[in-house]
Amino acid sequence: MSLRTDLLANVTTALSGSSVSVSSELPWSSGGTELYRKNKKKFYLSETDQDITQLQSTLDTNDVFQTENSLQGFITVDAKNQPADIQTVVSAVLNSRLSVSDYFVRECEASSETEGDEITYTFEYRFVNLI
Amino acid sequence: MAYIGVNATADFVTLKLNNSADFSSNIAAAFVAGESANTYDVPSMQEITVNATPGIFRWKQLDSLSEQAITTSSTNNIELTVVLDDTTFYSNTGSSYGILDSVNNKTKTAFRLYWAGESSGDRYIEGEGYLSALAPTVSPDSPVWTSPLTIEIVGDFTTGQEA
Repeated sequence: MSLRTDLLANVTTALSGSSVSVSSELPWSSGGTELYRKNKKKFYLSETDQDITQLQSTLDTNDVFQTENSLQGFITVDAKNQPADIQTVVSAVLNSRLSVSDYFVRECEASSETEGDEITYTFEYRFVNLI
Repeated sequence: MAYIGVNATADFVTLKLNNSADFSSNIAAAFVAGESANTYDVPSMQEITVNATPGIFRWKQLDSLSEQAITTSSTNNIELTVVLDDTTFYSNTGSSYGILDSVNNKTKTAFRLYWAGESSGDRYIEGEGYLSALAPTVSPDSPVWTSPLTIEIVGDFTTGQEA
């Protein structure tokens, strides 16, 4: 399974029973508005961006490389009337990174931005493994 | 004048080891075609330093404004850092011990270091010594075993040129 599929499955499990559901669709824009802003209280996950970097360089080009995978997750809710369990939801989304195996770096950073009466939580996932 | 570049495939630094027998009387015999089954290249070297350092004895004289000096025996060694490869680290090559067993068994090892490539005319130094200073390390941020390694050389470096 792909990293996105794994992570999406983990987030789905982590958010079951919460006020936020999970979409398997990509967070594309429709009419200039991102899906996660149109469909509030729904988690969207981007496609995986990959970056291959050198971990150890050698004199005979038997170099050791690592793949840095990054994904972005989004949830938008009503800023004036946030779900009561929003902090639990944020924690659950952050912790879902730990359910992905075989990566030696599993990081996630959450940030929020308020615009009008909406608050959008953005989750920056970063997974690194050896090639 | 020309630099000794090692960035092209044909100019890679190569370190060959053979400890299948005592080659003290003829180091070059360790690297002839007939010994190829007992010889292995140390792969994935990250850096290598050749130390050829004569000792210095200094003294002062009343008739001189500066110290006098004379050289004494050299301390020769080769220091390198490698990304450990499971074949050459654990396993024997023919009758030669792998790196770990060479250190464990304190086996005198013949070496040949090609400065830049090992084609006809390429230069090398060779000698014999003991592998030491093995200190494999790994960390969560760099999850690949790497280790320093030193060849403590017995006697002189011998220079040569690939036939």
